[in-house]
Amino acid sequence: MKISGRVWKFGKDVDTDELFSGRYIMGGDETSESNYQQFIGESGLSDVAERDNVPSNFLTDVQPGDVIVAEENFGIGSSRQQAAETLKFKGVRAIVADSIHRIYFRNSWNLGCPAIDLPGISQGFNTGDNIEIDLRESLVTNLTTGKEFRFHLIMPSWFIDMVEAGGLIPYHKALKS
Amino acid sequence: MGMTLVEKILANKSGQLVVRPDEIVEVSVDLAMTHDALGAHTAAKFNELGVAKVWDPQKIVVIPDHYVPNKDIDTARKCLNLKKFVREQGIENYYEVGKGGICHQVLVEKGHVLPGTVVVGTDSHTTTSGVVGAFATGIGIDEMAVVFKTGRLWERVPATIKINVEGKLESPLFAKDLMLFILSRLGVSGALFKSLQFTGSTVSEMSIDGRMVLTNMAIEAGATNGIIEPDDKLVDYIRSRTDAPFEVVKGDPDAEYAETIEFRTDDIKEPIVAVPPKPTNGVGVTEVEGTKIDQAFIGSCTNGRLEDLRVAAKILKGRKVDRYTKVIVIPASQEVYKGALDEGLITIFVEAGAMVGPPTCGPCMEAHMGILGPEEVSISSTNRNFEGRSGDVSSKIYLASPATVAASALTGKITDPRQFL
Ligand code: SF4
Repeated sequence: MKISGRVWKFGKDVDTDELFSGRYIMGGDETSESNYQQFIGESGLSDVAERDNVPSNFLTDVQPGDVIVAEENFGIGSSRQQAAETLKFKGVRAIVADSIHRIYFRNSWNLGCPAIDLPGISQGFNTGDNIEIDLRESLVTNLTTGKEFRFHLIMPSWFIDMVEAGGLIPYHKALKS
Repeated sequence: MGMTLVEKILANKSGQLVVRPDEIVEVSVDLAMTHDALGAHTAAKFNELGVAKVWDPQKIVVIPDHYVPNKDIDTARKCLNLKKFVREQGIENYYEVGKGGICHQVLVEKGHVLPGTVVVGTDSHTTTSGVVGAFATGIGIDEMAVVFKTGRLWERVPATIKINVEGKLESPLFAKDLMLFILSRLGVSGALFKSLQFTGSTVSEMSIDGRMVLTNMAIEAGATNGIIEPDDKLVDYIRSRTDAPFEVVKGDPDAEYAETIEFRTDDIKEPIVAVPPKPTNGVGVTEVEGTKIDQAFIGSCTNGRLEDLRVAAKILKGRKVDRYTKVIVIPASQEVYKGALDEGLITIFVEAGAMVGPPTCGPCMEAHMGILGPEEVSISSTNRNFEGRSGDVSSKIYLASPATVAASALTGKITDPRQFL
């Protein structure tokens, strides 16, 4: 499976509070999916424009299919799943970072949004570059510069099927058993 | 080439002969735990999956602990939704208010967690259960819903960092001082996608209560899990708590570790305090001595056990806490509470002017029973001191051992416990 898109370059230590402010966390209703989706869309990234590790025009200009390339410690902070949901909601297709915090990593894959840690990757990209991620070949390519980078993650094929299905819940909904 | 303890557990549970670090495997889950903060959300997600019944009601444990007794209508509603799910699914291991306590404490002390097993919980401090030599880790609500359906979970096999500790750990130093010291060396990302395995003579000498501090706070270095290889002391502990059969799993002698980090207790010169806003900001107590506090809290899944309450009582006995300091003591479970009553510790706390609360997470997170107001400063035996963790964003939390917290309670400022021990 290959993912390609336009790159947004983020800095280091992008935390879950920046992505999804804790003060919204009690909002939303766990029993109503539509209410929840709306709430994710409205509250996500709302405070982010002033930060120095996220491009100031990200919120207004991000488009479906875009990919984030970040420096270290992406997703550090609390375990809130909304932090990953909000990026997916904005259309982010994948994240590649020098390092990623574990719960964010899990949440993002489980939403069908690959999150790949690859030390040094941030050096190889600028905002606006085109990126290609080949999950089966464990390969990240900067299509703009032609540079290739290999990551370590070893994935079984059902795992990639899960991403294709749009995440863990849709994958299991579709699995009849 | 052999495998580490964690690699062996994950190989066993994934049905593979070998697993290697950074490989994604699917493992069968032996125990799944949820609590009131995320249980109702998990149940709602599970109900979306289109199956009527959970994979195995015997393997699910539900423990309301964060907002109990319920602090408002919203938390009461969440608990009701969770209890409805428990009843519908026939989940027997449900600990109603007054029967359990903080989830991580209850899982271990009630013998739910066994060596060599895979344990998951909707809580980052599920790592605590690694104290029995299990692979125990925190997961999100979507994945827990899927675990409820399938009994299976994907995991990225962590490489293991061996934390080897040698030397005597004696009062005024406790497990918390050791762990804050270790964390100050590792940093918040020092163990990302790694397992922290604690070994060495110091760890062998420690009680199970003390060891739980290490596995509990492994997550503060970003670790996937914390784990300690079972020894006779641990096996005796489990045997005293359950009849369930189990098999002790140990790492291979030729296992490969990502790194071995050596610590000597001699190098810890004084009790450690973690300065806000990170648990990894440990400094010697004398560096922050005299900092004025508004609240002192002894409790939580890190340090709310009998051993902790005994040390605090030793310091508070026959003395009075500072007149303007809110001193709160919360036993981690009903069992701990009962033990503290039997030993007369509760009387000591009450006579000293501390408020003793019912087993609950309470002020550890911004839940209830001790939320901090603007600019308030707390010294706490808990595990996290992030901005706003226990109240207003301008409040501050210093993390320390129950001894240091108790000593500070007496003076109303951060105090070296040595003068009271
Ligand atoms: S005591 Fe604190 S850290 Fe432990 S489970 Fe409760 S809220 Fe979490």
